[in-house]
Amino acid sequence: MYRDARLGVAELDVIVLVKQVPNTAEVKIDPRTGTLMREGVESIINPDDLHALEAGLRLRESHGGRVTAVSMGPPQAMDALREALGMGADAAVLLTDRAFAGADTLATSYTLGKCIRKLGRFDLVVAGHQAIDGDTAQIGPQVAEYLDVPQVIRATRLEVRDGELHAERTHEDGVEAVRCALPALVTVTREANKPRYPYIPRLMAAFDPNAPIKTWGPKDIGADERLIGLKGSPTQVQKTFTPKLEKKVEKLSGQPAEMARALVGRLKERRLA
Amino acid sequence: MNSEEMLRRTIAKFVDNEIIPVANDLDEKETFPRDLFKRLAGMGLYSIRYPKEAGGSAADNTHFCIMCEELARGSMSVAAFTAMQCLMGTDFLFKYGTPELRERYWRPAMRGEKVAAFCLTEPGGGTDLAAVTTTARKSADDVVITGYKTWVTNGPVADFYTVLCQTDRSKGPKGFGFFFVPRDTPGVVVTRKFSKMGTRATEISEVIFRDAHVPREHQFGPDGSGAALLNSKLEEIRVMTAALSLGLARAAFDASLRYANEREAFGRPIGKYQAIQMKLATMATEIEASRLMIYDCTRRMDRGIPAMKEASMAKYFASEAACRAADECTRIFGAYAYSNEYPASRFYRDTRFLLYGGGTSEILQVIIAKELGL
Ligand SMILES: Cc1cc2nc3c(=O)[nH]c(=O)nc-3n(C[C@H](O)[C@H](O)[C@H](O)COP(=O)(O)OP(=O)(O)OC[C@H]3O[C@@H](n4cnc5c(N)ncnc54)[C@H](O)[C@@H]3O)c2cc1C
Repeated sequence: MYRDARLGVAELDVIVLVKQVPNTAEVKIDPRTGTLMREGVESIINPDDLHALEAGLRLRESHGGRVTAVSMGPPQAMDALREALGMGADAAVLLTDRAFAGADTLATSYTLGKCIRKLGRFDLVVAGHQAIDGDTAQIGPQVAEYLDVPQVIRATRLEVRDGELHAERTHEDGVEAVRCALPALVTVTREANKPRYPYIPRLMAAFDPNAPIKTWGPKDIGADERLIGLKGSPTQVQKTFTPKLEKKVEKLSGQPAEMARALVGRLKERRLA
Repeated sequence: MNSEEMLRRTIAKFVDNEIIPVANDLDEKETFPRDLFKRLAGMGLYSIRYPKEAGGSAADNTHFCIMCEELARGSMSVAAFTAMQCLMGTDFLFKYGTPELRERYWRPAMRGEKVAAFCLTEPGGGTDLAAVTTTARKSADDVVITGYKTWVTNGPVADFYTVLCQTDRSKGPKGFGFFFVPRDTPGVVVTRKFSKMGTRATEISEVIFRDAHVPREHQFGPDGSGAALLNSKLEEIRVMTAALSLGLARAAFDASLRYANEREAFGRPIGKYQAIQMKLATMATEIEASRLMIYDCTRRMDRGIPAMKEASMAKYFASEAACRAADECTRIFGAYAYSNEYPASRFYRDTRFLLYGGGTSEILQVIIAKELGL
């Protein structure tokens, strides 16, 4: 963090992790093959990541500094980064290479961590809580581990005060207020804010050949080829399928008291009561 | 994805989330939605056609029409005042205004702090602009504007007007000139807003100029340049109006298709009946034809190829197709089209605006015929 002793100004270097995902609201699973039917389905910025971007941009607006969006993905993930620039990110890095393909969360976290190290200075990494296509919620915590910085997971509010991160995490039975030193990593949920729409002149400028988007491969970030992509992934998805939901309806009849007794009996049988 | 698709997707998302849910309410309130107007400025929409150096997106006609089309899919009123702010209301100010005028009016307009309007039509002439009688008399140190303009979109809420005037009656259209008149100029009188059939979330009124004095720098372009300035914008205005038509036709089609799948009669969704299917098939075909005509025309224009015939054809076809689509939509919806609870009624009322703005179908046919050498 940059501090000016006289002015007390602190500028924040924020890195936001952004993933491009298929719009699962539109994706169906092929019942025969059990695979995702992605054809014709639009790719979007993972919804939680929009909140991460918004959180990063708001921090920059109140503290000054820079927001850099980082994404690992196929070349078309460039669209997600262009959108991030449109929303206000200052710069972006696309990690794209065949060698990155097939990565599980560990290899992805390693790759993102390497990229963040390569970018150099940072005060805060902001990520979405989870991606709608994988739902693992593992990337944020794993990147924090790799970077060896404190992590706050599922923040619903965050601010930086006196050089520390102050965050709130909402639970079923209350709100937990936490604070931690910077640099740190925080993941945010949808409750954190309302993401802004892109600013059209910035969005269109993101298509200029000299737009501030870098494209990096494994060598650029000094990644160990054995730890990235499919090779670096201990987890392999064996099968994707839609669980069969079977519904059995039983109608109870008789006097209300009888039916209530029968219902309690059934619930007990199934250990639901 | 190219920048056209990205723009379409971005505007579409805003339209789906922020405009469609309130479009009927906006229509019922019959009031210019200033908050929404400002939000659109916040997204940088009004400067989309202007150069990057000026803070714009340097959008070509294709991009601009994509934006207009998507907005019109949500609300014709919103699309109409946006087009006014982007094009007719601010274009001459940007190109021919003094740096000071640009700073005082154009920049705030781009930020949504000032509203623009464009005054051509007079009680004595809409299609026939040669009949314009509003005069601009030059004196040694200023210009005095006198006349009566009507059907001024944004008239009641505008902060400034770009006004077509006659500077020399003996010269006919060769004596035309455009002048910039701020609303707060003494002698500018804005009448009550019109009560109207459609685009009810835009406000329209008459604007009367009673010896309104403006500095000489408020003249856009040299003497007698008015007709040429207007002609230089006609292609753009026409193809943009065609894009508005396409957006509305799509909205009417989407609503009709959804309704045809949901509404049941005689034990089946009405979309299963051939009579309804034929309506939808025709709507879809005409939408596709409009789309091809419009974007073929914009791509020509973007390459610098003259396209007056194509723009006139696109506007003529797309606006009439939108009217037919909205008409069929009101049939498919049955009685529910007659209720303002559903959008069908709004679509139907709003399409009529498309018949007049940017040239009536009749005059466009005259122009097309002329282009054919008749
Ligand atoms: C919602 C709305 C917003 C508008 N906003 C603006 C605005 O912001 N600024 C502005 O200046 N104007 C505006 N107008 C006015 C619009 O431009 C005019 O209505 C249009 O130019 C037609 O003019 P008119 O209504 O006077 O019709 P007229 O010109 O009187 O036409 C009447 C009929 O005669 C036909 N006709 C006329 N001449 C010929 C011919 N030579 N051959 C064949 N048929 C002919 C027409 O097609 C039409 O059917 C707006 C209108 C509407 C409805």
